[in-house]
Amino acid sequence: MEENTPPPHRRPYDLPLPTPPDALRRGPLREGTFGSALHEPRTAVVLGRWLGAALLTCFLTGLFSHLVQEGPGWLPSRPVNGYRVTQGLHVISGIAAIPLLAAKLWAVYPKLFEWPPARSVLHALERLGIAVLVAAMLLELFTGLFNTLQWYPWPFPFRQTHFWLGWLATGGLLLHVAAKAPLVAAHWRRVRPGLAQRRAFLTAVAASVGAVTLTTAGQSVPWLRVTDLFAPRRPDLGPQGLPVNRTAVQAGTATVPADWRLAVDGPRPLALSLADLARLPQYEAELPIACVEGWSASARWTGVRVRDLLELAGAPAGARVRITSLEADGPYRVTDLPAAHARDPLTLLALRVNGEVLDPDHGYPARIMAPNRPGVLQTKWVARMEVL
Amino acid sequence: MRTLRAVLVLAGLALTGYGLYGLLTDHFVQHPLEIAEWAVGGLLLHDGLWVPLICVLGATLARSTPVRTGLVLAAAVTAVALPAVLRAGVDGGNPTVLPLPYLRNWLLALAAIAVVATVWALIGRRRRRAG
Repeated sequence: MEENTPPPHRRPYDLPLPTPPDALRRGPLREGTFGSALHEPRTAVVLGRWLGAALLTCFLTGLFSHLVQEGPGWLPSRPVNGYRVTQGLHVISGIAAIPLLAAKLWAVYPKLFEWPPARSVLHALERLGIAVLVAAMLLELFTGLFNTLQWYPWPFPFRQTHFWLGWLATGGLLLHVAAKAPLVAAHWRRVRPGLAQRRAFLTAVAASVGAVTLTTAGQSVPWLRVTDLFAPRRPDLGPQGLPVNRTAVQAGTATVPADWRLAVDGPRPLALSLADLARLPQYEAELPIACVEGWSASARWTGVRVRDLLELAGAPAGARVRITSLEADGPYRVTDLPAAHARDPLTLLALRVNGEVLDPDHGYPARIMAPNRPGVLQTKWVARMEVL
Repeated sequence: MRTLRAVLVLAGLALTGYGLYGLLTDHFVQHPLEIAEWAVGGLLLHDGLWVPLICVLGATLARSTPVRTGLVLAAAVTAVALPAVLRAGVDGGNPTVLPLPYLRNWLLALAAIAVVATVWALIGRRRRRAG
């Protein structure tokens, strides 16, 4: 009796969808359009592993940097080069992801034209998710690369968009791995004999990653400077041999008022001229400027220890310091120096760099230089320090 | 495997949801639709123009391993270098941005790739003849 057999159990999201008529299978939708033997799962899995590692590195270092800039209070002041390493890694892994993403998408490109376009509701959802993932990743890498050049051809704000797209892309990546887990597991290990073409292609992709890394990473890795062809910064080019993110002219601080005094607001308020500051004990520290955009450069900074100034002003131990710059506006005109940084003997109110009085572009008359801190928070053209 | 997949799905949904929520509520992002337009535009350019072009190139020009490797390298280097080449000289008043001769460097890199691929192809041909 036909009526008595129960229908096969199907979850609602797994409902099969009808296959469109075969007459629609034209162009790339025809079987056998893509001739290369490399459009196969093992190639996709190997590339996917490399790309996944690059994207997760990018996401975690980016998240770290965002948290540091939102509230630097929790960041320790050591290791001195900590932020320099994480931001260098952020940009290096982001640039490496460009050839990796291109190769991965090329390898799986025929899947875009698979037939039927959607086997079930779940399959349709998975494909939609991949579209979101790919779009988010393409835009993320594009905006990131262009930001390092200070080029903003799009109408939306960079920082916020790049941050939120990072969550979207990483979430999409996790969903994609979950969906493809059986396929990934089946092709995780190499089956012998290997495919000669695959080996050649993967070698070409690895060489591409090496090439784009070697020709750009010199902006953050000092010993790669000789191969640096395409980085938007060179750590040794700029006034006093150092790059600048915002010049004195751009910040409107090219001329400093003749009666400039550093105000230190604490229990014993101070107003110190440059001559007063020069009479205080001077210290020297080798510290990097490490930019969010990946470049970093070390220099010898000389000046007064911030903790000496705080003691003179009668600040209690564990006090935070609010630093105000001479610049009229800018998102980092006022920044907070957490207690760990303020008390660190390496944290300077720097008056000189590499033996010379600071160039206006480097923050004349005085700037903050602290270990393990984003470049944008190393306030230039300091006007005021306020004990909190 | 089932547990791992379930964890991945939950984490993936959480991260995606958080990202979407952020894009829609961040008060600096006043027109989220503009981002969607750029995202879809990028997808269309990549999948509709760039990859088909690569596929046609691969099927016609890049039949040998040295040529294919050379083209893969040239494409990767160009993707990273071209924005700097196009932008060279536009520094907004800050000469430490883009201070290198990017056009020259890009052409040098392409020439080096072409030389290596050619030498490799010639050696391969001689070996095949000898063998």
